[in-house]
Amino acid sequence: MVLLKIAWRSIWRSKLRSAVVIFAIASGLLGGLFSSAWINGMAMQRVKNTFAYEIGHIQLHNPDFSENMDVKKTILDTNEKIKGIKESQGVMGVTDRIRITGMAATANKNLGVNVVGVTPETEKKVFELYQRIDSASGGFFENDKKNAIVISKALATELNARLKSKIVLTFQDFNGEITGAAFKVVGLYKTDNNPWDKMHVFVKNKDLRRIIELPEDQSHEIVVLLNDYEQADVKAQEFQVKYPDTKVEDWAEVSPYLSLMSGYMDTMMGLFMAIILGALGFGIVNTMLMVVLERTRELGMLMAIGMTKKRIFMMIMLETIFLALVGAVLGELLSMFFIYHFGHVGIDLTSMAEGMESVGYSAITYPMLEGYRYLQITLLVIVTGVVASVYPAFKALKLHPAEAIRSI
Amino acid sequence: MSIIQINKLTKTYHDTEVPVHAVNGVDLSFEEGEFAAIVGPSGCGKTTLMNMVGGLEQPTSGDVIVDGSTMSKLSSNALIDFRLRNIGFVFQAYNLIPVLSAKENVEFIMQLQNWNKKEMDERTLALLESVGLGDKINSKPNQLSGGQQQRVAVARALASKPKFILADEPTANLDSIATNQLLDIMEKLNREENMTFIFATHDQRVMDKAKRVVTLDDGKVISDILKNP
Repeated sequence: MVLLKIAWRSIWRSKLRSAVVIFAIASGLLGGLFSSAWINGMAMQRVKNTFAYEIGHIQLHNPDFSENMDVKKTILDTNEKIKGIKESQGVMGVTDRIRITGMAATANKNLGVNVVGVTPETEKKVFELYQRIDSASGGFFENDKKNAIVISKALATELNARLKSKIVLTFQDFNGEITGAAFKVVGLYKTDNNPWDKMHVFVKNKDLRRIIELPEDQSHEIVVLLNDYEQADVKAQEFQVKYPDTKVEDWAEVSPYLSLMSGYMDTMMGLFMAIILGALGFGIVNTMLMVVLERTRELGMLMAIGMTKKRIFMMIMLETIFLALVGAVLGELLSMFFIYHFGHVGIDLTSMAEGMESVGYSAITYPMLEGYRYLQITLLVIVTGVVASVYPAFKALKLHPAEAIRSI
Repeated sequence: MSIIQINKLTKTYHDTEVPVHAVNGVDLSFEEGEFAAIVGPSGCGKTTLMNMVGGLEQPTSGDVIVDGSTMSKLSSNALIDFRLRNIGFVFQAYNLIPVLSAKENVEFIMQLQNWNKKEMDERTLALLESVGLGDKINSKPNQLSGGQQQRVAVARALASKPKFILADEPTANLDSIATNQLLDIMEKLNREENMTFIFATHDQRVMDKAKRVVTLDDGKVISDILKNP
């Protein structure tokens, strides 16, 4: 107890020096945590957007479909499967899709696209794309008009199309024949992933089924949205057992990039913090060496009157840890404040929107950091404090009490 | 009864080309309850002798036997524990812990010995009262005069109930009033509690109060005078 008291009070002996170290630690952590939160926020936004607009949490396909999106490689008994999946616990929504590749053409231009046939009612329960159509840009199949198409604003610009424009889609039908139809643009969407936007057009399932002559109760894709995306691997295994005639993949398998990015962020953040804490560690070592040097006589006296080496070591270590912890707490409080603030108002990088959206990131990013990260950082700071105290503490132990007492 | 027995004690430093015999074959013994001063000119070996008696330095040859224990035969950790339990130190520069109050400084030694709080509080207050600082228990060292700090150091030295106190130039930084106060307190503790004090000093006032004066020169005892009580 007395060691704790001495260690704590000793921090404040040289207020200016301690303040400099504490400020260095606090600002280092603020920089590290805020940058991590920013990168993490961008990545999480990217992940959420990918779930919400592109892939959902789990996908079922014909086992041979993914190889070359063969129009004939369908899932059979789609309705029964959807019904079964819906009844499974933790499932928020299920929808089926027809997926084909084709050409979109206007009077001005032809472009290759992925044509997605959707059932609007169930599609809205799984994907949020319909929310990315502003009021001036139409809607997501709000009425039952035949041959309606929703395309992205980016594609519309490329094709020189707008609302109510006609777009001719050409693709292969179920019998392998080239077919096509004219569609009227009823909605223009815009996500934060510009390349993806340019590649995907949406039409109604029943229109596409009719045009490509796809038999009823067959689809190319069933997409599932779960309450908790972290359960995706477990649920995917469950569905795989239940529907062995399909290939069931969770989001990490559908989009390995997302999985990689999630792991990459962890590694990056770890590396980032290790560099910052390492640099801070050296600063702390330097400060504590000065402390030992300044207190040579006091340490000699403590040894002379009977303080064991273990206690001397512990005292230096505690002082180092306290010093680091004060800086850490201050740094974390500042980080929490800034992360909370910008997590709500966002960091607006609209000036770089084009560049960011071209790689799938939003122009407005919301920093976020999970609560456990703060605890992790606190523990890392304690570890840094312990490691940084070892050399100064050993220096202290090497003092000879008789000589130390006589030192000036 | 002899509590400190010094036999042919020698300390030679080899830091220079010519070896320096700081203490050179000293034989001495101190009885319980002595109030003794080791005196001599600067560099005569007083502090080196005190350091070896206090177990802070190892002799080149010879032995210091305290209460039956040969200091040089104790392991490093055992020596630290031995010092904690048997020897009180008073230093020239007071050497209090600046971040602790007078009370906490005195308690410190007892906390190292795991005393219970009640006993510790009682003894601390009694000791600070005995050195005339009952009203300064919560003062930090920087709020005390040099004399007051040295009195706290005496109280701290007494805290663990040591067998004897080694005081190395305890009055060197004090004015005459503070010196007299300090010496009166130490003399009283010696008289009333039979506490053994051994001083290393060249302060005439300490020599005048001492009941025994051992004079060193060139590391050797050149006189050992026991004054009449």
